[in-house]
Amino acid sequence: AVRHSRRGSSSHGSLSFLGLTPSARDPATAVRRRNRGPRNRKKGWKRWAGPEARLGREIGDFLEDVTLQQRVAGGLIAEQPDAGLFFVDTGSAEKGERRKRKNKIREKPLHIDLVLRPDSKVPAPKDILSHQIPNGRKERRRQQFWERMAQRGVLPRSERRLQTRLQNPAPPREKPPEKGRLDPGRSFYDIWADDNPLERALVGQDAWFLQQTQKQRVKRPLRLQQKPSQLPAVEVIAPGGSYNPTFEDHQVCGGDKVERQLRFPTAAEAPTAETVFREQCEGLLEESGDEEEEEEEKEEEEKKEEAVGGAQPSDPPRLLHRPGKKTEQQRRKEKEARELQRRRLKALRCRQQQLFRLRSLGRQLRRWEQELLRRRRAREAKRREMEGRPRRLGRIKYEDPALEVQLSDELPEGSVLHDRFKSLQKRSLIEPRERAKFKRKYRLKYVEKRAFREVT
Amino acid sequence: MVSPPLWARPQNLTTPPARRQLPCGGPAPLFSPSQRAPRRRTPPAGLELPAARLNDSLPSPLSVPASHPHPSASLQLGAARTRRGFGAGADRRGAGSARAARVLRRGGARGGGSGAMGGLEKKKYQRGSATNYITRNKARKKLQLSLPDFRRLCILKGIYPHEPKHKKKVNKGSTAARTFYLLKDIKFLLHEPIVNKFREYKIFVRKLRKAYGKSEWGTAERLKDNKPTYKLDHIVKERYPTFVDALRDLDDALSMCFLFSTFPRTGKCHVQTIQLCRRLAVEFLNYVIASRSLRKVFLSIKGIYYQAEVLGQPITWITPYAFAHDHPTDVDYRVMATFTEFYTTLLGFVNFRLYHSLNLHYPPKIDGQAEVELKPAEGKEYAMDSESYLEKLSALSASLARVVAPTQEDDVEMDEFPVEGETAEQMDARRKEQEALEKHKKLFEGLRFFLNREVPREPLAFIIRCFGGQVSWDKSLCIGATYDVSDPSITHQIVDRPQVEQQVVGRYYLQPQWVFDSVNAKLCLPVADYFPGVLLPPHLSPFVTEQEGDYIPPEKLKLLAMQRGEDPGDVRLPELERIQAVLLLQRSSACCRATVLHDQ
Repeated sequence: AVRHSRRGSSSHGSLSFLGLTPSARDPATAVRRRNRGPRNRKKGWKRWAGPEARLGREIGDFLEDVTLQQRVAGGLIAEQPDAGLFFVDTGSAEKGERRKRKNKIREKPLHIDLVLRPDSKVPAPKDILSHQIPNGRKERRRQQFWERMAQRGVLPRSERRLQTRLQNPAPPREKPPEKGRLDPGRSFYDIWADDNPLERALVGQDAWFLQQTQKQRVKRPLRLQQKPSQLPAVEVIAPGGSYNPTFEDHQVCGGDKVERQLRFPTAAEAPTAETVFREQCEGLLEESGDEEEEEEEKEEEEKKEEAVGGAQPSDPPRLLHRPGKKTEQQRRKEKEARELQRRRLKALRCRQQQLFRLRSLGRQLRRWEQELLRRRRAREAKRREMEGRPRRLGRIKYEDPALEVQLSDELPEGSVLHDRFKSLQKRSLIEPRERAKFKRKYRLKYVEKRAFREVT
Repeated sequence: MVSPPLWARPQNLTTPPARRQLPCGGPAPLFSPSQRAPRRRTPPAGLELPAARLNDSLPSPLSVPASHPHPSASLQLGAARTRRGFGAGADRRGAGSARAARVLRRGGARGGGSGAMGGLEKKKYQRGSATNYITRNKARKKLQLSLPDFRRLCILKGIYPHEPKHKKKVNKGSTAARTFYLLKDIKFLLHEPIVNKFREYKIFVRKLRKAYGKSEWGTAERLKDNKPTYKLDHIVKERYPTFVDALRDLDDALSMCFLFSTFPRTGKCHVQTIQLCRRLAVEFLNYVIASRSLRKVFLSIKGIYYQAEVLGQPITWITPYAFAHDHPTDVDYRVMATFTEFYTTLLGFVNFRLYHSLNLHYPPKIDGQAEVELKPAEGKEYAMDSESYLEKLSALSASLARVVAPTQEDDVEMDEFPVEGETAEQMDARRKEQEALEKHKKLFEGLRFFLNREVPREPLAFIIRCFGGQVSWDKSLCIGATYDVSDPSITHQIVDRPQVEQQVVGRYYLQPQWVFDSVNAKLCLPVADYFPGVLLPPHLSPFVTEQEGDYIPPEKLKLLAMQRGEDPGDVRLPELERIQAVLLLQRSSACCRATVLHDQ
């Protein structure tokens, strides 16, 4: 842009030459240019803008422009008469229309936009084949031909082949049915009979031979015949779980659990008819009454606070000892009591020793035996209790399923599948576990597609 | 003996020069601690001190102070040293007494001969319970199976994880919760031929995937034809050596089969499994009908509990209602399917045996099937020819064909022999019980039921047929209807709608609960409580046996009175109790209140 302006100013100065192209330059105007770089190389020479080179370049430009003017305008423009260069513009209707049309074309929406409009103005492509059969005439003639042939009893080849296939079908592919566990057609047999096919092959052979040749299966250890838990396989639900229970059963089994199920920690928090009604009416009625109540409550609280505040300053400073700690006096008294007890016991013991030593020994023994019996019973009870409890078999502890209780207006629910699964866990047959969580290694990146973004 | 590290040898233990001259005249030790001491790096003070203290307090014959004036003591010392063959290491022993003290402190019981007495040192976790158990992952690796395969194998073989008594010992000192198995169990699993089949299957899957990946369809076909399969027969025999063992474990098998037979065919499990379960379940139901062995029914919110007495064994099972399933997400279907796989095999063999015990055909044949086959068009609209057999069987309306036609001789009563050591009273009671049982079995004999289309057909048909009743339903409802609604000989029609228009004279219209309650009460209950639209009495659980002094609901009292043959009218809910109940209600939740007020 700098160069251009400079040229413009120079062209103002000399009116002798009128350039057709912006690069055309009056050779008379000489613009001083800085010499750039050394000229000891070819590149330097080329770049050199010394006065000779500049002159040469400008003359070349000038001559080029002259030829261009001669070619275009039939002579130098400077020498042309005015009429040859200008005309009076009266304006034409035709020209305006064309511009309008051009504008119209420009204003017209693009085809793609039209297509993408919700109510496309572009008509759906016509399905030509819906009312025109390709090769219709030929097909019709062929059909007529085959009809004529059929009257004579000649059928096309494909038809003939179909007929023959129908008459003598190929033998079905012999595929042996799956012999495995899931074959519904498999035949069962008496597995507990003496001559069952499982053991038929081994009957009458030498046991030692069978064992050494590993033909006989390894005997199942007896320990495995015992199940890990003595709980019944199907635990019948409590009578409250009946679909139509008695009121008492429902109460015993479910009444208190219903509240737990509904996540109310106490019965007081469980909804009553009144609270339910209130909840439903909430916001419908003016709550002036409530406000009054609140005010009353506030007042009461203030009163209480006052009472408390009034009492505080008059209180003596708290005793330094902690609430659970005994005082010196208490300690002393306890010690004395202990001493007394000890002395009394000692005296008693002495007396017994002197008088009823034998009997007391016997009694002691009996007492000790009783104590042992008691302990044994306690131990057994504890063991029994532990036996019934599901074992801890893994990371996750078994948890009893929530007690299922039918509320008054519900369909029966509770899944047998869930019940069975939990039962297996409870009997320690399978370890409780969590479902494996899906974890993605990398974060997902969401990108809205450009086309989609433009449409919406 | 492991000598303690250098730094643990306390400096003050080095024998003074006087002691180094051994009185027994043995050669001077080549590397006595005193010679070593100067070379040794000085240990950190904190480490050295306790060892020194320990040694001081330890009454060891070797730590006799060197300045001991009595020469005999030194002599004894030397003799003892040579006897034990410690030689030059004697003083090292003294140095290591810190370790010995540690061992002693821990308790001599386990330490045994370690340290002080020489011999091998016992390492931790190399005997005892630590070696009796094996973690699941180790077991899996030992068997060279993947975790799902290992799980399957354990379920099929009936080997379950075991909780050790002292987890920390078993877990090598760690307290992390792990799944343990008994090592002997896993060793037993190593002999199982199915393990090889599992491995083969893994290879098969790999080959098949490869063939598909290479688009070698021929290879894929060939592979599929040779798919490795296995049978569980030998495991059934191994786990249940006798038939009674199998019967005792039938509860699980039946519950699972009934559950799986109700699954939709949506790909949660194989369709074949569902069909097999259905077939086995229907076969068992037909056996129960034929043997009249049903005893109790209980409609619960979970499903229907049944109890039957099969060959003297009480068998309880649960069947789900025929509602749409909502598949819970926290149930492992693979585990359940594995259990079912085993139980279907078991139930197949049990059914075979049970059918043969009654002289019935197995697979079951419907009585007079020849007639049915003559007019096959009858059931056309319900099922294809391939399915119509199972459908007819599951209709439960037809009786089964016997291998040998029953003759009159079979019905002759058995002679009764008194069991030894039984008093006349006991025998009398037994006979009475027997009679009651016989009566119970013929509860619905001679009655003709008709089931309306809104009642659950299968449980009702099953129960009615179990007690000798005849049952039918609308022809358009299900295959196997034997008579029409308009049949005048119908005695009871089971309906479940508030009122019935166009009642036919000569039959009772009853709600379905009557059937269940009658079965549990072992007598046909008075019908008035069960008319359509009437508020039903509660459905009591027959599985509850009240002890002396327990609370018995008034409805049950009424029932007991009826069973005794008394007039139940005088047993009523006392007014006082009713009032108490209402009082209790006021403190209880709203929903329960609704029930009872409704009940009143």
